[in-house]
Amino acid sequence: MTQILLIEDDAVTADEIRLELTSAGHGVTLRTTLVEAASVARGGGIDLLIVDRQLPDGEGLVLIETLRGEGRRTPALVLSALGSLDDRVRGLRAGGDDYLAKPFALVELVARVEALLRRPDESRDTRLIAGPLDLDLLAGRATRGNRPLELLPREFKLLDYLARRPGRIVTRSMLLQDVWGYTFEPNSNVVDVHIGRLRRKVDAEGEVQLIRNVRGQGYILDLPH
Amino acid sequence: MIFPTDPRRRATWRWGGALAALLVLQSLALAAAFWALANGSHRRAIEHALADDCTFFRLTPPEERGEELREKLARDIHRDRFLGLFDAKGALIAGNVARLPAETPAGASFVADVAPTELPGKRIDQARVTVCPLSGDMRLLAGVDLDDTEEALRLVWRSLLLGLVPGLVLALGFGLVAGRRAARQVDTVRRLTERIMSGDLTQRLPVAAHPDSFGVLCAHINTMLDRLQLLITDMRGVGDDIAHQMRTPLTRLRARLDRGLRDASTAQDFAAVADQALVQVDALLGIVAALLRLRELEDHARRSRFAPVDLATLVDDACDLHRPLAEDRGITLACDLTPVGTVHGDASLLMEAIANLIDNAMKFGPPGGTVRVVLTASSEGPVVTVADDGAGIPADERALVTQRFYRVRTDREGAGLGLSLVKAIADLHGFRLRFADSESAVSLICTR
Repeated sequence: MTQILLIEDDAVTADEIRLELTSAGHGVTLRTTLVEAASVARGGGIDLLIVDRQLPDGEGLVLIETLRGEGRRTPALVLSALGSLDDRVRGLRAGGDDYLAKPFALVELVARVEALLRRPDESRDTRLIAGPLDLDLLAGRATRGNRPLELLPREFKLLDYLARRPGRIVTRSMLLQDVWGYTFEPNSNVVDVHIGRLRRKVDAEGEVQLIRNVRGQGYILDLPH
Repeated sequence: MIFPTDPRRRATWRWGGALAALLVLQSLALAAAFWALANGSHRRAIEHALADDCTFFRLTPPEERGEELREKLARDIHRDRFLGLFDAKGALIAGNVARLPAETPAGASFVADVAPTELPGKRIDQARVTVCPLSGDMRLLAGVDLDDTEEALRLVWRSLLLGLVPGLVLALGFGLVAGRRAARQVDTVRRLTERIMSGDLTQRLPVAAHPDSFGVLCAHINTMLDRLQLLITDMRGVGDDIAHQMRTPLTRLRARLDRGLRDASTAQDFAAVADQALVQVDALLGIVAALLRLRELEDHARRSRFAPVDLATLVDDACDLHRPLAEDRGITLACDLTPVGTVHGDASLLMEAIANLIDNAMKFGPPGGTVRVVLTASSEGPVVTVADDGAGIPADERALVTQRFYRVRTDREGAGLGLSLVKAIADLHGFRLRFADSESAVSLICTR
């Protein structure tokens, strides 16, 4: 079981996050101050840090900077009530690996936590195989089994992104951020429509559904066992 | 009390004192210059006269010198001349001086004490004299009384003092008045700022018709207060707006939960209630997030992230992002891009602005219509125009649509924040937003 160190001084928020992460199968250690958190983090056995920015004894980014300075590479997800994307840049610069602004949906948090815990397969291979899917990364062609998929370039990128993260929830904002390269919350379901098209091409009639819509949360690429 | 503790009164004294000191210095310099120049010219005049006397007696035959000398003295009506003719032993032959000075430096004139014989009540007197040898073993002492010169010096000093006293009084008076005036202005500003701080934002500082530098400063402060008042009014309005906007969906949500919980009997029923509630909560959170983003944008704090953005790539990405959705809705998304180079900005924000415009066009244009996205280089700079086949925004509502929560049509979904966001993003970049007159088109003019 993975161990997550959560540093959050608001009891209600902390409880919500702990419940959500525990039910997703993670162990959670909660600390409310930077000093306590630092000693836990230095004690080892922690796989991921979730750090709130505004804590009673200071700025959460300082903890990350300190740990990074000591050579500890434990991935860190930064939470902030400041709600500003400029803060996002500061958070990432301080050594945070991802950033979430409050208010956030708990599913978004879990999706990002899992993305950090299981770094995607970033291999530079020219071929990516996920279950029945076979992606030729050089030519930009994909097949499912023996059936070639007629994918547009953007659809190929989406499938590539999903195929590197099988079995894990991928949210809309993660897709927009990582596949298109823009950080914003679109009003309409633009991303859903792209995924819908991709799904119609990947999952033909009669085949096992690989791309699954998790209602109100995002998408998962399910691989048959 | 030399240094009053009140800084304004201290300033008064400081100004008065500085002016007085300046005046004294200037008077002293003037007097010294006057004295040096006057004394110099007087001395040259005396030396000239003494040299003339020597020459005159040198040219006069020895036997006539006594007579000439007496005549010269008789003509000296000011009685400020000293003349004495002495023989080789230093005994007086003729003149009004008892004896030769003890030491007689050769050459030029010098100042010495002489013993006058014809000035009543004066046994000794200061004079500038010269002693010149004459033929026949005689010596002539010629001198001019320095009483006049001393008198002149005294006059200079007295006039200086007399002039200084009113000068000092004037300086102190001016310092006092100037200091008082400054103190009064500061007092006025202080009183008004106190009232402003206590909440009365309608107060303004007085500015004269022809303001001095202090008045210009006051005018600037007034402009700042105008802006502040506007912002605060705006903020209060927004606060009211938010309360109003949140109340309706919250009331609806509460009613639905209430009814759902009463009616639900199976787990599926409860799940359906919860699902519906979640959708509405998400919509509410969306409004909150949009408001937070608006505030953030209006703080102008994001310029630090600005970088060169290739507009053609950006607009192409926006089209690519929206094309499937447009097709699903039976709308043709026509994009016409001219490469225009880069602008300085935040790619994600510009993308959000253009996405909002395309969203609006798809939402408010007629079904089955066309949404055109055009990027051109105009004389004003790069322009992104998003147009649809609809009626567009009525002319009298164009100024209002960028206000928060303003909705032209209430038959469509939305909180009325989209165009506010686009406007805020444009403002942040220094870009302009323009609504076309005759068609349904919005242009983002991407130049400062």
